[in-house]
Amino acid sequence: MSEPTDFEEFLKRVVTIVFWILLIVPIIVLPLLFFGSEILQALQLLVNANSIFILINKAQNPFLAFELMDSLGQGPCIATATYQPSAGCNPTFFRIVIFPGFTFVALLTLWLGWFERKLAAKVHMRYGPLYAGRISGVLQPIADILKLLGKELIIPAKADKPFFIAVPLLTMGISAALLTLIPLSERVYVVPPASASLGLLVLFAVLGFYPIIILMGAWASSNKFSFIGGLRALHQLVSYEIPWFLAVLGVVVLTSSLDPFQIVRAQSKIWFIVPQFIAAFVFLTATLAELERIPFDLPEADTEIVFGWLTEYGGMFWGILFGLSPFIKLYVFSGLFTILFLGGWLGPAFLPPEIWFILKTFVVITVIMFSRVFNPRIRIDLLIRVGWVYLILLAVINLFIAVGLKAFGVL
Amino acid sequence: MVDIVFLALAAVSIGASVIALEAREIVYGAVALGVSFLGLAGFFIILDAPFVALFQITVYVGAVVVLILFTVMLIRREKGVKTPAAWERGVGIVAAAVLAIGMGSVAFASGLQTWVAPQGVQVSFREIGVQLLTQYWPILLILGLVLASAVMGALTLAKVEREEK
Repeated sequence: MSEPTDFEEFLKRVVTIVFWILLIVPIIVLPLLFFGSEILQALQLLVNANSIFILINKAQNPFLAFELMDSLGQGPCIATATYQPSAGCNPTFFRIVIFPGFTFVALLTLWLGWFERKLAAKVHMRYGPLYAGRISGVLQPIADILKLLGKELIIPAKADKPFFIAVPLLTMGISAALLTLIPLSERVYVVPPASASLGLLVLFAVLGFYPIIILMGAWASSNKFSFIGGLRALHQLVSYEIPWFLAVLGVVVLTSSLDPFQIVRAQSKIWFIVPQFIAAFVFLTATLAELERIPFDLPEADTEIVFGWLTEYGGMFWGILFGLSPFIKLYVFSGLFTILFLGGWLGPAFLPPEIWFILKTFVVITVIMFSRVFNPRIRIDLLIRVGWVYLILLAVINLFIAVGLKAFGVL
Repeated sequence: MVDIVFLALAAVSIGASVIALEAREIVYGAVALGVSFLGLAGFFIILDAPFVALFQITVYVGAVVVLILFTVMLIRREKGVKTPAAWERGVGIVAAAVLAIGMGSVAFASGLQTWVAPQGVQVSFREIGVQLLTQYWPILLILGLVLASAVMGALTLAKVEREEK
């Protein structure tokens, strides 16, 4: 290491100043600009000695943030025992964008990425992410995202530009659409119970877009590895959608409903994983294939076809297609498994139902993640055979069991 | 409101159909076909038939368009694509116009303008299921047999090819 030159010293100072400006502006300047009048009013209240208790009382209200958002018409509108939302609040925006919707799950997926790397490292007797954030590398995903955002988005010269750019955007849109169909509880949802009567069918219809988008991306890349990966993904997704939905049909027969709320209510006596254990197995296997996770990761097999249909995608495109979207899909499928087989948000009353739902979903996510740690990749002819012969057979047998249980009135 | 949505959907489906026919790149055509199917699904939604709309999406976008794309991508580019001659184009336009005018006049003559749609009728998928299994069960049976025979035919063809190798 040589001594830093004057120019390097200068650069370092400029970078430091920019860093502090970037840190201070959103934390102090922007709030002052937007809430300056309110802060002035509060200061005047402070001067008036009688009003100081009013301010303290107001600050002790734990639902102050909720009230503020409700008064702007964008609040969560979630009623609790001590808090009732105001009459005019409109929760739609908040629900789609923030809480059960996109932002919540995007932050969750950030953390899930770290969790998966740490889990795999523990099984492999490695350390995994260690340095970023001091404590076991919890800030590693944020560092990764910042790195990906800083990268150049390279579009190959021979690529079909409109399709190449459309694919990450469409993937994002479809992931967000899938999220709206997973309710967290009877009171936290995006699609309300009154209009969720066809929920599972909508999920199935939206999932049908994935093969088209993958094929578009594979074709637009003009790369033979991408193309082979795209065809493999198409084979896999189309084959495994059928047993996946046949497994769901068993539960639909038992509850005679496609509505996730009704399905959870029907499990108050017994979770459907007991009478429908074959369906649960088929569903989980088909889920692994739909997620392109490790026993079924042929579309992205890095030792065979570079990186499959994602080969030409880099930077944040890769971040969306391989980071965000698969983890959102993982959350959606695990949440659906919880709703269909594990009784959704039902549980003892000492925890709120939303927490029960997230806990159960997290258990399913962990089970799915474990499958990647110690499984080799399956051969492609076996993949097709397992999908079309064994899983469909099992799913049909399960459907007959469900019809029998329903016909003899057992459930 | 419904009128604006209707016009927008009509523009999307007709425009996508035109692109599907005229696109130079055949993959663009296949994707445009999917978009026009989505427009049709939108029509079913404004007709208060979400069940039919979802099946339109599942079957046509999820299965038919995927099959078409799959086939198209295995074909080499600019092979088997023939640009139509001018007279062929003219004949096509005239035939389409005659068909549209004929069907339009029949529709207008049928008293459609004075017909009032029943309000607040929503058919649930359970009723559709009950109807299929009670009144229309022979049709369901025949449809199942047709599908089964198609699957058997496909399997037989695949097996013949394998034996030839």
